[in-house]
Amino acid sequence: MTQTHLTQTDWNIRLYLYEMLVNTGSAPSHDAIAKKFDIPIGEAKQALHRLNDAHLIFLRPDTDDLMMAFPLSAVKTDYQVRLNGVDIYANCAWDSLGIPAMVKQDAQITISHPTTREAINYAVVDGTLQGEGFVHIAKPFAEWYDDLIDT
Amino acid sequence: MFFRAEGEVDQWCTTHGRKRGAILTLAHVWELAKLWYSDRMSPDFRGRTPESVRDIFNKLQLTDSFWEF
Repeated sequence: MTQTHLTQTDWNIRLYLYEMLVNTGSAPSHDAIAKKFDIPIGEAKQALHRLNDAHLIFLRPDTDDLMMAFPLSAVKTDYQVRLNGVDIYANCAWDSLGIPAMVKQDAQITISHPTTREAINYAVVDGTLQGEGFVHIAKPFAEWYDDLIDT
Repeated sequence: MFFRAEGEVDQWCTTHGRKRGAILTLAHVWELAKLWYSDRMSPDFRGRTPESVRDIFNKLQLTDSFWEF
């Protein structure tokens, strides 16, 4: 769904962001990206912006810093996913299930109820969902990229 | 946003002055998550085409105007 031209290095950086978020729960620094791909830090930042423009990641507005690599969040949210002992954050309820779907591993998910703030747990075990509930998706699909934070 | 019951969604929308969107069961969202994200960490992933999005929504009977683009 993108018209932005991406290089093979851009695609490799995208995958590196995902691997680091899944394995450590944190996004790599600009310096780490630059070293990993043997490019200047400025080029690493430009690559992040090209990926952002292509809607493959989402940078914090007006910065070079990763905010979302769907379904992963680079910042703490109300949707915590425990994967192999590592706490990872998802962007929303859908994405909390997107993480075990993406890595094809068991996951324990703890979220905060939007009204009461109480902790609610559900899980994916051996590819099967354990838990019940409802997910409200606020905006129609056509508007998702207009305001990703509020979708 | 996760809720334990459909009624909680209406309460939340009223409290926050928000329009009600789409409500899916968690089980339905799990099926959607598998179709939407299973290839996201593949080195071959190159984004999603409108056709693939439509295909996923059709498979899960997400065919009303909320899911159009």
